Amino acid sequence: MSLIPGLGLVKGMALTLRRFFQPKVTNLWPEVPAEISPKFRGRLQLLYDEHGTLKCETCFQCAQACPIECIDMGGMDTKGRYAVHWGASETYGERREESALRRAGRTVPDVAYEHWSPIDLGQVDAILHEADHDPKRMLEILGATQEAYGYLPVAALKRISFGTGAWYAMVYGTATYYDHLRFQPPSQATAATSSPTRGPAAATGRERIEADYLSGLDGAIGRAPKPRPKRAN
Amino acid sequence: MTNLLKTPAGWPRPLLGRASAKDPTDLDAAVKAGAFDGLKKAVKLAPAGALAEVRAAGLRGRGGAGFLTADKWQLAAATPADRRYVVANGYGADPAARTDAVLLERDPYGVIEGVAIAAWAIGADSAIIAVRATETEAIRRLEAALGAAEEAGFIGSDVLDSGRELNVEVRPVQGAYMLGEETVLLKALEGKRGQPEQRPPHPAERGLFGRPTVVQNVQTLALAAWILREGAAAFRAIGSPGAPGTILVHVRGAGGAGVAEVPLGTTIRTILGLVGAKAPAGPDPKALLVGGPSGGILPADLLDTPYSFDELRAAGAHIGSGSIVATGPQADVVELAELLTRFCASEACGKTIPCRIGTRRLEEIAVRINAGTPRPTDADLLTDLSADIVASGLCDHERLATLPLTSVMRYFRPELDAKLQPVAEPAAAH
Ligand SMILES: Cc1cc2nc3c(=O)[nH]c(=O)nc-3n(C[C@H](O)[C@H](O)[C@H](O)COP(=O)(O)O)c2cc1C
Ligand code: SF4
Ligand code: FES
Repeated sequence: MSLIPGLGLVKGMALTLRRFFQPKVTNLWPEVPAEISPKFRGRLQLLYDEHGTLKCETCFQCAQACPIECIDMGGMDTKGRYAVHWGASETYGERREESALRRAGRTVPDVAYEHWSPIDLGQVDAILHEADHDPKRMLEILGATQEAYGYLPVAALKRISFGTGAWYAMVYGTATYYDHLRFQPPSQATAATSSPTRGPAAATGRERIEADYLSGLDGAIGRAPKPRPKRAN
Repeated sequence: MTNLLKTPAGWPRPLLGRASAKDPTDLDAAVKAGAFDGLKKAVKLAPAGALAEVRAAGLRGRGGAGFLTADKWQLAAATPADRRYVVANGYGADPAARTDAVLLERDPYGVIEGVAIAAWAIGADSAIIAVRATETEAIRRLEAALGAAEEAGFIGSDVLDSGRELNVEVRPVQGAYMLGEETVLLKALEGKRGQPEQRPPHPAERGLFGRPTVVQNVQTLALAAWILREGAAAFRAIGSPGAPGTILVHVRGAGGAGVAEVPLGTTIRTILGLVGAKAPAGPDPKALLVGGPSGGILPADLLDTPYSFDELRAAGAHIGSGSIVATGPQADVVELAELLTRFCASEACGKTIPCRIGTRRLEEIAVRINAGTPRPTDADLLTDLSADIVASGLCDHERLATLPLTSVMRYFRPELDAKLQPVAEPAAAH
């Protein structure tokens, strides 16, 4: 309790008043795209395995890293003895049983699982056959798949994981790592590139990182830096 | 096309000796100029003899770290395995240094011969030359050269009638800066995401697909070919005693830019003279960035430092990508350090905490200092954090990423201190 009665109220009103006169912050999305890190690698989602089970080992890394602690997580130790828990109890509660089962070597079907945009898998199968279903030829397989579909559909990635025996998380991680592979149909990318807000000279994350570095060096040498390329998706 | 800098007539050119050839993919012309003489000698000497020659020459890796090449080959040859690999690292991670691409474009046979010699010495039957996918001309010439060399029997199913097989493949790779690091490059060649591995075991013991693999910079391999042709003694006569031979550098300064072959131990002043960045009478550059994005920022007093592995390390820089940048008198070294730290943080792979978070925190400190909003603890934090990253880093990238800021702290303390004083708050907006 404050010594002066009503001080809390005054403080609250002062804050309201201050905010009232501050400049408004409105994101004009989607007209003005949000500023994302140049190394952003795509969807943020928990991955599913081929049985439709969430591929989460309940290692708590993400829950610990989350600055606003919005991730809750429950699990069992490897012997199924202790229930371990992190975070507020409303979210992710169902993980507990699943990870216990997984660690016992069994898989659990996930009711929330549904197939991603179905595609004709004939072309992936042909590519897999061509590459001997060899996970060591992953980049070749991913490149050919992108050529066939124009991008890497999730269903194709799942099929590649199933066909090569490589974990989906590994396939997905590999696909996000290399610049030339993409997860959206190119038509969208083209539309975005020619949009009036971005202009034609859109660049990938790496191109922007490199251009920033090279023009910075030019600046240090004393030469006029080249204009920086704009951002693409 | 990158400019080739003219070097004084007396300088030896083991790397770029054939660089002026009209068509670098013309095998007959290259053979007339000495290509594959080294491989012939290696086959005559038997693997152990070839290895002994490279050891006697004291050849050290040109990929940045300067590791003794013969030690790697010996380890790979001595590790029991059903197969061994040679990987030529021509990725050229630093976008500001095109040294390796220039070598591949100008003399693909030198690199191919070096690959064949390394494979002969360690007993490998497959080799991969990894090249940055955007270097299309280098890839085209390499492929043409490989075809011709195979047809002539220098590589292929029966190397020089020795009964040994060697398949060489060019692999275009594209991705982050980190892809140049050897364990990351091997991951990319295995079709995995590019993150480094703990060493030891070194790739020479457990590399590509778990087999002993010699990963060598393309310049190192081309030099090995020269060593076998001309002899270890001739190689030792070039460069400095601790680091014999030559190396390619990419120099940038106010006077121009380009790639040059210089003997190790040449002073930085002399190297800058090649582009007129340091005209004899002109002003000294304010600072030198040596080693690429994770290089050290050195003051002009160190212009006479010999360009060589150990001397640069002692000065707080490194050979790295072979890039040397001479800044103009107006350059703000603290801002330059921020630029480099940002690049290193953006390119860190994210695998470990010093890599993912440490480099990011370094960048934030640099941003605060340059924005005039330093915290009172920032100088100490910079020192402590850098020491922690060096001590706990998984790969060399995050360890070296501390160099730009720590070298500014070491050499440009007054400038840094001036920025460490917070700027007075601007009067509140009315
Ligand atoms: C971040 C990072 C990037 C690197 N980039 C390259 C590169 O582009 N080319 C290269 O040959 N070596 C690069 N290296 C060094 C390699 O890890 C490795 O030491 C080298 O290829 C070995 O060959 P060498 O013994 O002939 O130098 C890099 C190292 C690090 C830590
Ligand atoms: S960090 Fe842990 S909780 Fe998050 S996805 Fe990975 S395994 Fe699951
Ligand atoms: S850059 Fe990530 S561990 Fe070195």
